[in-house]
Amino acid sequence: MTRDWWKHLVLILGAIIVLAPFYMMVSYSFKSPGEIDRGEGGFFGRQELMVDERCVALRDPNRDEIAAMAPQYPGLSDNDIRAVIVAEAEAACSMRPIAFNYSKAFTEAPLLRYLANGVIVTVSIFLIQVAVALPAAYALAKLKFWGREAVFGLVLFCLLIPVHAIALPLYIMLAKLGLTNTYAALVVPWTISVFGIFLMRQFFMTVPDDLIDAARMDGMSEFAIVWRVMLPTAIPALLAFAIFSIVAHWNDYFWPRIVVTGNRDLFTPPLGLREFKGDGDGSFFGPMMATATVIVTPLIVAFLIAQRRFIEGITLSGMK
Amino acid sequence: MAVLDANASEPVSKGVQSQARTAWTLTAPALALMFLILLVPICVAGVLSFTNYSLGNAGFDWVGTENYERLLTRTTYAKMFVATFTYVVTVVPISLGLGLGAAMLVHSLGRVGDIYKTIYFLPVMATLLAMAIAWEFMLHPTIGMVNRTLEMACGSWFEVIPFIAHGCADRFPLWLGDKDYAIWVVCFIGIWQGFGFNMVLYLAGLTSVHRELYHAAEMDGARSAWERFRLVTWPALGPTTVFVVTISCIRAFQVFDTIEAFWPQGGGPNKSAYVMMFAIFEKGIQQNLIGIGSAITMLFLVFVMVLTLIQRWLVERKVHY
Repeated sequence: MTRDWWKHLVLILGAIIVLAPFYMMVSYSFKSPGEIDRGEGGFFGRQELMVDERCVALRDPNRDEIAAMAPQYPGLSDNDIRAVIVAEAEAACSMRPIAFNYSKAFTEAPLLRYLANGVIVTVSIFLIQVAVALPAAYALAKLKFWGREAVFGLVLFCLLIPVHAIALPLYIMLAKLGLTNTYAALVVPWTISVFGIFLMRQFFMTVPDDLIDAARMDGMSEFAIVWRVMLPTAIPALLAFAIFSIVAHWNDYFWPRIVVTGNRDLFTPPLGLREFKGDGDGSFFGPMMATATVIVTPLIVAFLIAQRRFIEGITLSGMK
Repeated sequence: MAVLDANASEPVSKGVQSQARTAWTLTAPALALMFLILLVPICVAGVLSFTNYSLGNAGFDWVGTENYERLLTRTTYAKMFVATFTYVVTVVPISLGLGLGAAMLVHSLGRVGDIYKTIYFLPVMATLLAMAIAWEFMLHPTIGMVNRTLEMACGSWFEVIPFIAHGCADRFPLWLGDKDYAIWVVCFIGIWQGFGFNMVLYLAGLTSVHRELYHAAEMDGARSAWERFRLVTWPALGPTTVFVVTISCIRAFQVFDTIEAFWPQGGGPNKSAYVMMFAIFEKGIQQNLIGIGSAITMLFLVFVMVLTLIQRWLVERKVHY
């Protein structure tokens, strides 16, 4: 330990830089606009009651409302009544900064909808990827047929193509089919995971032939073998692939940015955050950072719970 | 098995035939999607890069290699190549070096080091767009944490550093608004985000280096830590390095989220951070200039494919340099 002090020093300095934006993001999501502007309040802010100016402005009484309230406050002038109403509004509109930031995050934009979209898109991408890749991987690993080498060669070639790179022609094709601004557009380009085929094929190569022969003896069809024999053996590899796929698509910003334009109902979490940034003025730093925190948290928490699996999954492509 | 063998060749060849049929049925969806989603678009981009097509137009004209000529002559695209290559050439080696350094430090600490591994891996998991926005706030010229921290150094002995002295006397940089800093800030965030990934790959590589090799090297007179690194660790990590370089290059070429978050219009001050992915997005999708967008797409694909082929070639030769 004493000999290693310099290693800890270097690594701690690195950790500070790595954690700084996370610290700031979470901290700003707790603070009031004033505290953010002046850079005070430590990590949690002072959590003093603050007044939501917009909420007060919305409740600003007009002439009729003042007239309607007049009987309740006999003897008060219109201006006094107005002051009473505004004071009431301010009382009703004041809250702790943390509550303000997080409630704004969910009410200013349909954040729950965005999160649901994120789940729908990532889960359907993963399920379709598996449904397409698993049978192909099984055929490539365990069935002998003329043309197998060619198919596998094609898989190896397609591994060279990053889908983001061909976004423009894909976008044109989807636009021609009238599919932009649909869930299909968000999912379709990712339905084929060449990497998934490759990975599963490598995994299936290690499954003993006896297992498959025994299943055939029992009279199982090849389709049944794929789903009832191979799928259960592949669970560990599938789990790693699931993490790889879900992390990539939850965080993806480029592709949704291209195919979803304007239709908020289809926004994925990163798009929602982007829009928040686009129309927010300076006073909205707090709610925006709250949104960012909400979007980043699920994966970070899952990662902290199942670190080993996540690191395996993300670096999957590095294992040979 | 003997029974199966006994009833001769006829059922066997039938079996082979039916196996071939099932095999093709099983691979058909994957094959169809591979063609439709990966191969056809490349051909589409290839064809359109020789036209002046726009979405919504009924037809298009062939313009020959005009799009490619533009890419090679216009200053905007010169800036695009400069920005892209600056980013790749900066981010790849530095994130590799930091990843390797962190991996060796963490590895030598044993179980205590795991906490650093967890921390350094966090940026890999986090939504890059959200973190880009967080960085944007950190780098805000007046209320950002970075310039505030730098201002604290004013009046102390830190002022001997010219950068600090200059910042205190005049003002600290605008970072994202300054054309001299913009691309470097983007590079920094790329490194910040990616080096943890490289570290994890190197950690996996390091655990597979045999302890005996170090002893053997020591016997042979490799006394210093540097000698041991040069003679044992670095060659043993050769395959990992090849992989890390390729994947970092491909990722670096695809940088987009940070650029679009910082400068939704135009790719940075004076187009200093106008990278290829952003150019494809801006020209092809926002401005509907499909021809030029396709030409950039084709060049991009060539870069990425050449890189990957070099990697495969190196791996197949099992290069240990």
